[in-house]
Amino acid sequence: MSAAADTACPAIQAGLTAEAILALLAPLGGAKDPADRWGLTVIVPREQLRAAMQLLRDGETTRFDLCLDVAGIDYLGYPDWRGPRFAVSYPLKSTVFRHRVTIKVQVDEDDASVPSLHDVWSSCDWAERETWDQYGIVFAGHPNLKRLLNHHEFVGHPLRKDYPCQKRQKLSVNDPMVDQLQAKLRALGYEILEQPAVTPGMPLTQKEIAK
Amino acid sequence: MVYKPVPATAAAPEVNLGDAFVTTTVDAVVNWGRRNSLWPFPFGTACCAIEFMGMVSSMFDVSRFGAELVRFSPRQADLLIVAGTVTYKQAPVLRRIYDQMLEPKWVISAGACATSGGFYDCYCTVPGIDEIIPVDIYIAGCPPRPEAFLEAIVQLQKKIDRENRNERAIIGGAA
Repeated sequence: MSAAADTACPAIQAGLTAEAILALLAPLGGAKDPADRWGLTVIVPREQLRAAMQLLRDGETTRFDLCLDVAGIDYLGYPDWRGPRFAVSYPLKSTVFRHRVTIKVQVDEDDASVPSLHDVWSSCDWAERETWDQYGIVFAGHPNLKRLLNHHEFVGHPLRKDYPCQKRQKLSVNDPMVDQLQAKLRALGYEILEQPAVTPGMPLTQKEIAK
Repeated sequence: MVYKPVPATAAAPEVNLGDAFVTTTVDAVVNWGRRNSLWPFPFGTACCAIEFMGMVSSMFDVSRFGAELVRFSPRQADLLIVAGTVTYKQAPVLRRIYDQMLEPKWVISAGACATSGGFYDCYCTVPGIDEIIPVDIYIAGCPPRPEAFLEAIVQLQKKIDRENRNERAIIGGAA
Protein backbone atom coordinates (compact mmCIF):
# COMPACT_ATOMS: atom_id res chain seq x y z
CA MET A 1 0.00 0.00 0.00
CA SER A 2 1.39 3.42 -0.93
CA ALA A 3 2.02 6.18 1.55
CA ALA A 4 -0.85 8.22 0.10
CA ALA A 5 -3.30 5.40 0.63
CA ASP A 6 -2.01 4.96 4.18
CA THR A 7 -2.79 8.53 5.12
CA ALA A 8 -6.22 8.23 3.51
CA CYS A 9 -7.13 5.36 5.83
CA PRO A 10 -9.50 6.72 8.51
CA ALA A 11 -8.15 4.39 11.14
CA ILE A 12 -4.65 5.68 10.64
CA GLN A 13 -5.94 9.25 10.55
CA ALA A 14 -7.56 8.44 13.86
CA GLY A 15 -4.21 7.17 15.05
CA LEU A 16 -5.07 3.49 15.26
CA THR A 17 -1.72 2.02 16.14
CA ALA A 18 -0.93 -0.85 18.45
CA GLU A 19 -0.56 1.70 21.21
CA ALA A 20 -3.98 3.13 20.42
CA ILE A 21 -5.64 -0.28 20.66
CA LEU A 22 -3.85 -0.96 23.93
CA ALA A 23 -4.93 2.43 25.26
CA LEU A 24 -8.50 1.67 24.22
CA LEU A 25 -8.50 -1.66 26.08
CA ALA A 26 -6.47 -0.56 29.10
CA PRO A 27 -9.56 0.65 31.07
CA LEU A 28 -11.02 -2.84 30.59
CA GLY A 29 -7.87 -4.46 31.94
CA GLY A 30 -6.31 -5.29 28.57
CA ALA A 31 -2.56 -5.91 28.52
CA LYS A 32 -0.16 -6.74 25.69
CA ASP A 33 0.84 -10.38 25.41
CA PRO A 34 4.66 -10.46 25.30
CA ALA A 35 4.58 -13.96 23.79
CA ASP A 36 3.25 -12.59 20.47
CA ARG A 37 6.35 -11.41 18.64
CA TRP A 38 4.78 -10.86 15.19
CA GLY A 39 1.45 -9.17 15.68
CA LEU A 40 -0.58 -7.60 18.45
CA THR A 41 -2.23 -9.86 21.01
CA VAL A 42 -4.11 -8.29 23.91
CA ILE A 43 -4.95 -10.36 26.98
CA VAL A 44 -8.32 -9.32 28.37
CA PRO A 45 -9.84 -10.49 31.68
CA ARG A 46 -12.76 -12.83 31.25
CA GLU A 47 -15.26 -10.51 32.96
CA GLN A 48 -14.51 -7.71 30.47
CA LEU A 49 -14.43 -9.87 27.33
CA ARG A 50 -17.88 -9.01 26.01
CA ALA A 51 -17.46 -5.29 26.71
CA ALA A 52 -14.04 -5.28 25.02
CA MET A 53 -15.30 -7.18 21.97
CA GLN A 54 -18.33 -4.92 21.52
CA LEU A 55 -16.05 -1.91 21.80
CA LEU A 56 -13.72 -3.31 19.14
CA ARG A 57 -16.57 -4.21 16.81
CA ASP A 58 -18.50 -0.95 17.07
CA GLY A 59 -15.74 1.62 17.72
CA GLU A 60 -15.48 4.30 15.01
CA THR A 61 -11.74 3.81 14.69
CA THR A 62 -11.60 0.05 15.16
CA ARG A 63 -14.55 -1.53 13.29
CA PHE A 64 -13.38 -5.12 13.74
CA ASP A 65 -16.29 -6.68 11.87
CA LEU A 66 -14.85 -10.16 11.40
CA CYS A 67 -14.08 -12.75 14.04
CA LEU A 68 -11.90 -15.17 12.10
CA ASP A 69 -11.71 -18.00 14.60
CA VAL A 70 -12.18 -19.07 18.18
CA ALA A 71 -9.08 -21.07 19.03
CA GLY A 72 -8.54 -23.01 22.23
CA ILE A 73 -5.08 -23.45 23.71
CA ASP A 74 -4.06 -26.08 26.25
CA TYR A 75 -0.83 -25.15 28.03
CA LEU A 76 -0.45 -28.53 29.78
CA GLY A 77 3.19 -29.52 29.39
CA TYR A 78 4.17 -26.13 27.92
CA PRO A 79 7.76 -25.36 28.95
CA ASP A 80 8.06 -23.00 31.93
CA TRP A 81 4.36 -22.19 31.97
CA ARG A 82 2.92 -20.86 35.22
CA GLY A 83 -0.35 -19.33 34.02
CA PRO A 84 -3.80 -20.92 33.85
CA ARG A 85 -4.07 -24.16 31.90
CA PHE A 86 -6.31 -22.96 29.05
CA ALA A 87 -6.69 -19.88 26.90
CA VAL A 88 -9.11 -18.87 24.15
CA SER A 89 -7.80 -16.75 21.31
CA TYR A 90 -9.94 -14.62 18.98
CA PRO A 91 -8.19 -13.31 15.84
CA LEU A 92 -10.14 -10.27 14.63
CA LYS A 93 -9.99 -8.43 11.34
CA SER A 94 -11.53 -5.22 10.10
CA THR A 95 -12.67 -5.38 6.49
CA VAL A 96 -13.14 -1.58 6.64
CA PHE A 97 -9.63 -0.60 7.76
CA ARG A 98 -7.85 -3.89 7.04
CA HIS A 99 -6.11 -4.18 10.36
CA ARG A 100 -5.91 -7.13 12.68
CA VAL A 101 -5.67 -7.82 16.38
CA THR A 102 -5.85 -10.97 18.48
CA ILE A 103 -7.71 -11.02 21.78
CA LYS A 104 -6.85 -13.68 24.28
CA VAL A 105 -8.64 -14.82 27.43
CA GLN A 106 -6.99 -16.99 30.03
CA VAL A 107 -9.15 -19.77 31.46
CA ASP A 108 -8.64 -21.79 34.61
CA GLU A 109 -9.01 -25.54 34.52
CA ASP A 110 -11.38 -25.59 37.51
CA ASP A 111 -13.72 -22.99 36.05
CA ALA A 112 -13.29 -23.47 32.29
CA SER A 113 -15.94 -21.04 31.16
CA VAL A 114 -15.93 -17.99 28.87
CA PRO A 115 -18.87 -15.71 27.98
CA SER A 116 -20.28 -16.54 24.57
CA LEU A 117 -19.91 -14.05 21.72
CA HIS A 118 -22.45 -15.66 19.38
CA ASP A 119 -24.51 -12.44 19.37
CA VAL A 120 -21.47 -10.21 18.73
CA TRP A 121 -20.25 -12.11 15.66
CA SER A 122 -22.45 -14.91 14.34
CA SER A 123 -19.29 -16.70 13.14
CA CYS A 124 -18.57 -17.38 16.81
CA ASP A 125 -21.58 -19.71 17.02
CA TRP A 126 -20.03 -22.77 15.38
CA ALA A 127 -16.47 -21.77 16.27
CA GLU A 128 -17.39 -21.82 19.98
CA ARG A 129 -19.11 -25.18 19.54
CA GLU A 130 -15.93 -26.55 17.99
CA THR A 131 -13.76 -25.18 20.81
CA TRP A 132 -16.09 -26.65 23.40
CA ASP A 133 -16.07 -29.98 21.56
CA GLN A 134 -12.28 -30.20 21.30
CA TYR A 135 -11.18 -28.53 24.56
CA GLY A 136 -14.15 -28.70 26.92
CA ILE A 137 -14.23 -24.94 27.47
CA VAL A 138 -17.81 -23.88 28.19
CA PHE A 139 -19.15 -20.78 26.44
CA ALA A 140 -21.68 -19.40 28.88
CA GLY A 141 -24.83 -18.13 27.20
CA HIS A 142 -24.39 -20.08 23.95
CA PRO A 143 -27.84 -21.12 22.66
CA ASN A 144 -26.86 -24.56 21.33
CA LEU A 145 -23.59 -25.72 22.81
CA LYS A 146 -23.36 -29.22 21.35
CA ARG A 147 -20.51 -31.04 19.66
CA LEU A 148 -19.63 -29.89 16.17
CA LEU A 149 -16.84 -32.15 14.88
CA ASN A 150 -16.97 -35.24 17.06
CA HIS A 151 -20.01 -37.47 17.16
CA HIS A 152 -22.67 -37.14 19.82
CA GLU A 153 -21.66 -40.30 21.71
CA PHE A 154 -18.07 -39.09 22.09
CA VAL A 155 -16.80 -38.83 25.67
CA GLY A 156 -14.03 -36.37 26.54
CA HIS A 157 -12.31 -33.60 24.64
CA PRO A 158 -9.67 -34.90 22.22
CA LEU A 159 -7.44 -31.83 21.79
CA ARG A 160 -6.71 -31.66 25.50
CA LYS A 161 -3.10 -32.66 25.97
CA ASP A 162 -4.05 -35.38 28.44
CA TYR A 163 -6.54 -37.10 26.10
CA PRO A 164 -5.18 -40.48 24.95
CA CYS A 165 -5.10 -39.65 21.25
CA GLN A 166 -5.22 -43.25 20.06
CA LYS A 167 -8.35 -44.05 22.04
CA ARG A 168 -11.09 -44.96 19.57
CA GLN A 169 -14.77 -44.25 20.27
CA LYS A 170 -17.32 -45.95 18.06
CA LEU A 171 -20.66 -44.43 17.17
CA SER A 172 -23.63 -46.79 17.49
CA VAL A 173 -26.42 -44.54 16.19
CA ASN A 174 -25.83 -41.52 13.99
CA ASP A 175 -27.24 -38.03 14.47
CA PRO A 176 -28.96 -36.45 11.43
CA MET A 177 -27.65 -33.02 12.58
CA VAL A 178 -30.51 -31.04 11.07
CA ASP A 179 -31.78 -29.35 14.24
CA GLN A 180 -30.43 -25.90 13.32
CA LEU A 181 -31.53 -26.28 9.71
CA GLN A 182 -35.05 -27.25 10.78
CA ALA A 183 -35.23 -24.30 13.20
CA LYS A 184 -34.30 -21.98 10.34
CA LEU A 185 -36.87 -23.56 8.02
CA ARG A 186 -39.57 -23.24 10.67
CA ALA A 187 -38.65 -19.58 11.15
CA LEU A 188 -39.17 -19.10 7.41
CA GLY A 189 -42.64 -20.63 7.67
CA TYR A 190 -41.91 -24.14 6.45
CA GLU A 191 -43.55 -27.11 8.10
CA ILE A 192 -41.37 -30.18 8.75
CA LEU A 193 -43.44 -33.18 7.64
CA GLU A 194 -40.94 -35.97 8.15
CA GLN A 195 -37.86 -36.38 10.31
CA PRO A 196 -34.74 -37.92 8.72
CA ALA A 197 -34.08 -41.55 9.48
CA VAL A 198 -31.72 -42.34 12.30
CA THR A 199 -29.23 -44.92 11.12
CA PRO A 200 -28.23 -47.70 13.46
CA GLY A 201 -24.66 -48.13 12.40
CA MET A 202 -21.54 -49.76 13.71
CA PRO A 203 -22.28 -52.90 15.66
CA LEU A 204 -20.70 -52.65 19.10
CA THR A 205 -19.01 -55.64 20.65
CA GLN A 206 -20.34 -56.98 23.94
CA LYS A 207 -17.24 -55.56 25.67
CA GLU A 208 -17.99 -52.11 24.33
CA ILE A 209 -21.64 -52.30 25.36
CA ALA A 210 -20.55 -53.26 28.88
CA LYS A 211 -18.47 -50.06 29.04
CA MET B 1 -34.64 -76.84 -47.65
CA VAL B 2 -36.17 -80.18 -46.96
CA TYR B 3 -34.04 -82.81 -45.24
CA LYS B 4 -34.42 -86.01 -43.41
CA PRO B 5 -33.49 -85.82 -39.71
CA VAL B 6 -30.75 -88.17 -38.59
CA PRO B 7 -32.08 -90.56 -35.94
CA ALA B 8 -30.51 -89.90 -32.53
CA THR B 9 -28.49 -92.68 -31.05
CA ALA B 10 -29.70 -93.92 -27.69
CA ALA B 11 -26.24 -93.69 -26.06
CA ALA B 12 -25.31 -90.02 -26.67
CA PRO B 13 -28.12 -88.14 -28.35
CA GLU B 14 -26.37 -84.74 -28.13
CA VAL B 15 -23.59 -85.70 -30.55
CA ASN B 16 -26.13 -85.41 -33.30
CA LEU B 17 -26.48 -81.71 -32.62
CA GLY B 18 -22.88 -80.98 -33.54
CA ASP B 19 -21.72 -77.51 -32.42
CA ALA B 20 -25.23 -76.35 -31.52
CA PHE B 21 -24.39 -76.18 -27.81
CA VAL B 22 -21.52 -76.46 -25.36
CA THR B 23 -21.49 -77.95 -21.91
CA THR B 24 -20.43 -75.90 -18.89
CA THR B 25 -21.33 -75.34 -15.23
CA VAL B 26 -23.78 -72.88 -13.74
CA ASP B 27 -20.96 -71.25 -11.73
CA ALA B 28 -18.88 -70.61 -14.82
CA VAL B 29 -21.72 -68.92 -16.69
CA VAL B 30 -22.97 -66.88 -13.72
CA ASN B 31 -19.48 -65.76 -12.73
CA TRP B 32 -18.67 -64.83 -16.34
CA GLY B 33 -21.70 -62.58 -16.39
CA ARG B 34 -21.06 -61.04 -13.01
CA ARG B 35 -17.37 -60.32 -13.42
CA ASN B 36 -17.73 -58.59 -16.76
CA SER B 37 -20.57 -56.35 -15.67
CA LEU B 38 -19.67 -54.77 -12.34
CA TRP B 39 -21.66 -51.66 -11.40
CA PRO B 40 -19.54 -49.59 -9.03
CA PHE B 41 -20.80 -47.27 -6.31
CA PRO B 42 -18.12 -44.73 -5.36
CA PHE B 43 -17.94 -43.86 -1.65
CA GLY B 44 -15.38 -41.13 -2.19
CA THR B 45 -14.31 -39.02 0.79
CA ALA B 46 -10.80 -37.86 -0.13
CA CYS B 47 -8.15 -37.67 -2.86
CA CYS B 48 -8.51 -41.38 -3.71
CA ALA B 49 -11.88 -40.49 -5.23
CA ILE B 50 -10.11 -38.15 -7.67
CA GLU B 51 -8.01 -41.10 -8.84
CA PHE B 52 -11.21 -43.11 -9.15
CA MET B 53 -12.51 -40.41 -11.50
CA GLY B 54 -9.31 -40.80 -13.48
CA MET B 55 -9.91 -44.52 -13.78
CA VAL B 56 -13.48 -44.04 -14.98
CA SER B 57 -12.63 -41.34 -17.51
CA SER B 58 -11.40 -41.85 -21.06
CA MET B 59 -7.65 -41.84 -20.35
CA PHE B 60 -7.66 -45.05 -18.32
CA ASP B 61 -11.17 -46.15 -19.25
CA VAL B 62 -12.51 -48.79 -16.90
CA SER B 63 -15.15 -49.65 -19.49
CA ARG B 64 -12.47 -51.85 -21.07
CA PHE B 65 -13.11 -54.07 -18.06
CA GLY B 66 -16.87 -53.78 -18.06
CA ALA B 67 -17.22 -51.70 -14.88
CA GLU B 68 -17.95 -48.27 -16.32
CA LEU B 69 -21.58 -47.89 -15.25
CA VAL B 70 -21.09 -45.88 -12.06
CA ARG B 71 -24.26 -45.76 -9.97
CA PHE B 72 -24.99 -43.27 -7.22
CA SER B 73 -27.62 -45.39 -5.54
CA PRO B 74 -26.40 -48.41 -3.57
CA ARG B 75 -29.54 -50.27 -4.63
CA GLN B 76 -28.33 -50.26 -8.24
CA ALA B 77 -24.71 -51.20 -7.58
CA ASP B 78 -22.87 -54.40 -6.81
CA LEU B 79 -19.35 -53.05 -6.25
CA LEU B 80 -18.69 -50.62 -3.39
CA ILE B 81 -15.46 -48.68 -3.87
CA VAL B 82 -14.50 -46.93 -0.64
CA ALA B 83 -11.98 -44.28 -1.69
CA GLY B 84 -10.84 -42.08 1.16
CA THR B 85 -10.73 -41.54 4.90
CA VAL B 86 -13.66 -42.81 6.95
CA THR B 87 -14.29 -41.31 10.39
CA TYR B 88 -16.25 -42.81 13.23
CA LYS B 89 -18.93 -40.21 12.62
CA GLN B 90 -19.31 -41.46 9.04
CA ALA B 91 -19.10 -45.14 9.89
CA PRO B 92 -22.87 -45.72 10.33
CA VAL B 93 -23.47 -44.13 6.93
CA LEU B 94 -20.99 -46.43 5.21
CA ARG B 95 -22.47 -49.43 6.99
CA ARG B 96 -25.96 -48.45 5.88
CA ILE B 97 -24.90 -48.01 2.26
CA TYR B 98 -23.34 -51.47 2.32
CA ASP B 99 -26.51 -52.94 3.85
CA GLN B 100 -28.62 -51.31 1.14
CA MET B 101 -26.70 -52.98 -1.68
CA LEU B 102 -28.23 -56.15 -3.04
CA GLU B 103 -26.45 -59.49 -3.14
CA PRO B 104 -24.16 -60.39 -4.73
CA LYS B 105 -21.91 -57.49 -3.74
CA TRP B 106 -18.21 -56.83 -3.44
CA VAL B 107 -16.09 -54.17 -1.75
CA ILE B 108 -12.82 -52.57 -2.83
CA SER B 109 -10.93 -50.62 -0.16
CA ALA B 110 -8.96 -48.03 -2.12
CA GLY B 111 -5.90 -46.40 -0.64
CA ALA B 112 -4.11 -46.24 2.68
CA CYS B 113 -6.88 -44.49 4.65
CA ALA B 114 -9.72 -46.86 3.78
CA THR B 115 -7.42 -49.84 4.26
CA SER B 116 -5.73 -48.95 7.55
CA GLY B 117 -6.61 -45.38 8.54
CA GLY B 118 -3.43 -44.27 6.76
CA PHE B 119 -1.46 -41.63 8.60
CA TYR B 120 -4.55 -40.60 10.59
CA ASP B 121 -3.56 -42.54 13.67
CA CYS B 122 -5.88 -40.45 15.80
CA TYR B 123 -9.06 -40.26 17.86
CA CYS B 124 -11.54 -39.81 15.02
CA THR B 125 -10.48 -42.06 12.13
CA VAL B 126 -11.57 -45.66 11.63
CA PRO B 127 -8.36 -47.73 11.32
CA GLY B 128 -9.52 -49.57 8.22
CA ILE B 129 -13.04 -50.03 6.88
CA ASP B 130 -12.86 -53.77 7.52
CA GLU B 131 -13.83 -52.79 11.08
CA ILE B 132 -17.25 -51.95 9.62
CA ILE B 133 -17.85 -53.99 6.45
CA PRO B 134 -16.21 -56.99 4.76
CA VAL B 135 -13.61 -56.14 2.11
CA ASP B 136 -12.66 -58.18 -0.97
CA ILE B 137 -9.71 -56.27 -2.43
CA TYR B 138 -7.35 -53.74 -0.82
CA ILE B 139 -5.41 -51.20 -2.87
CA ALA B 140 -2.19 -49.73 -1.49
CA GLY B 141 -1.14 -46.15 -2.23
CA CYS B 142 -1.74 -42.62 -1.01
CA PRO B 143 -3.54 -42.11 -3.30
CA PRO B 144 -3.23 -45.14 -5.61
CA ARG B 145 -2.79 -44.41 -9.31
CA PRO B 146 -5.67 -45.24 -11.69
CA GLU B 147 -3.68 -48.25 -12.90
CA ALA B 148 -3.84 -49.61 -9.35
CA PHE B 149 -7.62 -49.24 -9.40
CA LEU B 150 -7.72 -51.14 -12.70
CA GLU B 151 -5.52 -53.84 -11.20
CA ALA B 152 -7.98 -54.12 -8.32
CA ILE B 153 -10.86 -54.54 -10.78
CA VAL B 154 -8.93 -57.30 -12.59
CA GLN B 155 -8.07 -59.01 -9.31
CA LEU B 156 -11.70 -58.83 -8.25
CA GLN B 157 -12.75 -60.35 -11.58
CA LYS B 158 -10.38 -63.25 -10.95
CA LYS B 159 -11.82 -63.64 -7.48
CA ILE B 160 -15.39 -63.65 -8.80
CA ASP B 161 -14.34 -66.27 -11.34
CA ARG B 162 -13.40 -68.62 -8.52
CA GLU B 163 -16.67 -68.13 -6.66
CA ASN B 164 -18.94 -71.06 -5.98
CA ARG B 165 -22.69 -70.89 -5.49
CA ASN B 166 -22.70 -73.31 -2.59
CA GLU B 167 -19.91 -71.52 -0.76
CA ARG B 168 -21.61 -68.15 -1.16
CA ALA B 169 -24.79 -69.62 0.31
CA ILE B 170 -22.86 -71.06 3.25
CA ILE B 171 -21.21 -67.76 4.17
CA GLY B 172 -24.56 -66.03 4.08
CA GLY B 173 -24.56 -64.39 0.66
CA ALA B 174 -27.13 -64.97 -2.03
CA ALA B 175 -26.20 -67.72 -4.46
